[in-house]
This record gives sequence, structure tokens and C-alpha cells, in this order.
Amino acid sequence: MNKRTLLVGLLMGYGLLWTILAIAPNDRQDWLLENLLALSAVAALLATYRRFQFSAASYVLFTAFLSLHAIGAHYTYAEVPFGFWLQEAFGLSRNPFDRLVHFGYGLLLAFPLRELLVRLADVKGWWSYYLPVSGMLAQSGLFEIVEAVVAQIVNPELGAAYLGTQGDQWDAQNDMIAAFSGALVCMTVVLLSAGREWRNRKGRPQ
Amino acid sequence: MILEIFSDRLHTADSDGTLIAAVWRLPEWIFNRGNVVTGNKRLLTGLVVWYGLLSLWVAYAPADRQFWLLSSILPGLLVVVLIGTHRFLPLSPASYVLITLFLSLHMIGVRYTYAEVPAGAWLEQAVPLGRNQYDRIVHFCFGFLLTYPIEEMFRLTVSLRGWLLYYLPVMTVLGLSGLWEIVESWVARVVHPELGITYLGSQGDVWDAQKDMAAAMYGALLSMAVLLWYRRQRLRISPSVADRSH
Repeated sequence: MNKRTLLVGLLMGYGLLWTILAIAPNDRQDWLLENLLALSAVAALLATYRRFQFSAASYVLFTAFLSLHAIGAHYTYAEVPFGFWLQEAFGLSRNPFDRLVHFGYGLLLAFPLRELLVRLADVKGWWSYYLPVSGMLAQSGLFEIVEAVVAQIVNPELGAAYLGTQGDQWDAQNDMIAAFSGALVCMTVVLLSAGREWRNRKGRPQ
Repeated sequence: MILEIFSDRLHTADSDGTLIAAVWRLPEWIFNRGNVVTGNKRLLTGLVVWYGLLSLWVAYAPADRQFWLLSSILPGLLVVVLIGTHRFLPLSPASYVLITLFLSLHMIGVRYTYAEVPAGAWLEQAVPLGRNQYDRIVHFCFGFLLTYPIEEMFRLTVSLRGWLLYYLPVMTVLGLSGLWEIVESWVARVVHPELGITYLGSQGDVWDAQKDMAAAMYGALLSMAVLLWYRRQRLRISPSVADRSH
């Protein structure tokens, strides 16, 4: 498939999903808060498209993550039905959907970050696997900070819903662990596939 | 040793003519000596001796032996790595001084345990802060003091240019800070599960992890702002020295 067609398809698919989920969210104010960053990200991707084009794979990953986030925003994270199903299936004490999306954040977005660093900063070798993991962890930490600030500023009830701590005192740390392990998994996969490519190029097919 | 540095500097400044040039070149001299391994030797020995003496003092009678053991592992490893790499990846004296300064601050926190450092307690009395802020200050210093060494490491090992040279060190510090909070929470959960969030540094604050990370981030941002400002100024005063640091 042509890359351009794919991108238009992704944009339309996301637009459609987003519109459906925007019609009747569980909590309009929380939905608005959650979508501030998501929409800024989409706008930034569109605005920088001419100057910096990610690979098709990266755009697919972006769309996958943003779709997950749109679902979380529609139901509010603590009340996503799929999360409740998981909670029952695995006997968990809380709805794990937000933790899952934190993991997805590391898993899906470490690859685009690596691409950005490799192409923009000419990062090579070991650094090109370490820096994306460090970067995802840093962003995850920044997100927890922003979350804390927002929660303290806006009214406490909405803060709790937005924050999604669900009464867990280690929530911030667990969220960061999730993003960190997601990024680690992603970089391991990239490293393995790079190793295979390298071996193939050497004329020793796997 | 410091006197030597100054006299050496002023002596060469005489030949250049102006005192302002001497003042401006003093940091430049400290920053750029990094590539000269031999010039570092006396300073490095001094720093290692200082750190060793401080370690002995702390090891003699720490307030909490278990905490001392736990929190001496990582700094010990760092010192070993720095000594091991100083030949093929020599950092500038400025970086080594900054790292030693940070490790010393940490050491003091370990000696008394962070929540009971006298300096912090004194600060709490002088300014009503509600808690001993020493650990928060050290978190800030983690960003403020260690971002420059990280920037230097990037400069020496990766060919970074422009804003990335300032952005990536901040990102790395924030990443490490997040990793630290994760490790801290693990330790708390494993060692003292019944104490939960009241254990380790948090002093009962639910937002402790976020505030610690924010402190490190502000420190990192400030140090990069200072560095950027310093480089701009130096470029204005003598454009010729600008290429040497990049």
C-alpha cells in the first residue's frame, strides 16, 4: 500500500473513532481534560509532517496508542468495560485499563522516539536503544508530575477520577514501571530484528 | 591546589592583557581541561581522597546501618565506573568536581538518614517548611549538578548538535529520577511493606515521588539554562574559543 493512502486511512479511522467516542462520554469534563494532550499531539504530528516524516510503522503505532487513549477518555480510565472484564478474569483489585495504556505508551511510542533520535540526532549503537527507554521513562515521570499538579489545582473529585489512582499509594511508581517495561520490550524487539537483519546482510541467513 | 589554578590562570591572563579576559577564561580553562588526562591527575586524586575520607567518616557511625548499606551501593558503583573510565573517557575537572559535590551531599544524607539531617532541620526552623527538606534539595542537586557531566558525556560520545544537546541531558536526568523513584518504591515494598508510603524519604507525603522528580527536572533545566547563557556570553566576548567546546 502507498504510504500516503495508509496515512489518510489512519487519520480517517482515528477521526471516525474519536468522533463516535466524543458524542456521549461518561464524564464530559474529564474527557476534555484527557483530550487536551491527545489533540495537541495529533496537531503537532500534522504540523510537522512536511518537515519531519516518521515511517509508516511509527504512524501506525501513534494511531494505535491514540485510539487506546480515546477509549480511556470516553469511559474515564477507571471505568472501561474491557478493564472490568480483565479485573474479573484475573481477580485483580482494580480496573487495570490505565495501567495497560501506560504499558502501551512505552511499548508503542518508544519506536517513534528512537526513529526521531536516530534521524535527528544521528544517535548510534547502544545509545539508540538506551535513550528511547530513558526518554519514555522521563516522559512518563513528567506525565505523573503534570497529573499531580492538575489534580491539586482542579477540584479534588475530578482530580481523583482524572488521576485514576484508585486508592493505590504506589500508583505513580507502578505507572512508570509499566511504561518502562513497555519501552524495554519494544527496544528488545527492535534490537532482535536489527540483529537478524545484520546477520542476513552478512550472508548468514537465520 | 585552587590557588595554583588561579595563579596559573592569572599569569597567562597577564600576557593576554585584560583582567576581564582572565575572569572569563577561568571557567573556560576548567571546562576545557577535560581532554588533557595528565592535567587532571592531581585534582582527581584530591577528589578521590576527599570522597574516601568522607566515606570513612560516614561508615564509622551511620544513623541507620541498613540504610547506609543500601544507599552506598549505587554511589560506590558510580565511583568505580568513573575511576575505571577516566583514561579513555576523561571528563573535565568541572564534571568531576560536580559529581563529587553531589556524592558528598548524598553521603551526608546517608550519615544522618535524609529526614534527620541537621542542616535540613535547621532550615525547617529558620523557614517554616513543614518538613525536613534536605532530601528535596538533594533531588534538586541531582539535576542541577549532574546534568552538566551528562551533557559532556553526550558531547564526547555522540555527535549531538543544537537543541538536542541541551534537551537530551534533561531528559536523561528525568528518566534516571523516575527510575530512582521506582527503585525506592520497590525497596520500600520489599524491606518494609507494613510501613508503605511512610518509609523512605516520603515523610507521609502522597505527592512525594512527583515532587522529587519535579525538583530534579527544575535543577536540570536550570543548569542547562546557565550553560546556554554562559556559552552565549563567551561567544560574544571571544568568538574564537567557541569551537573548542563543541
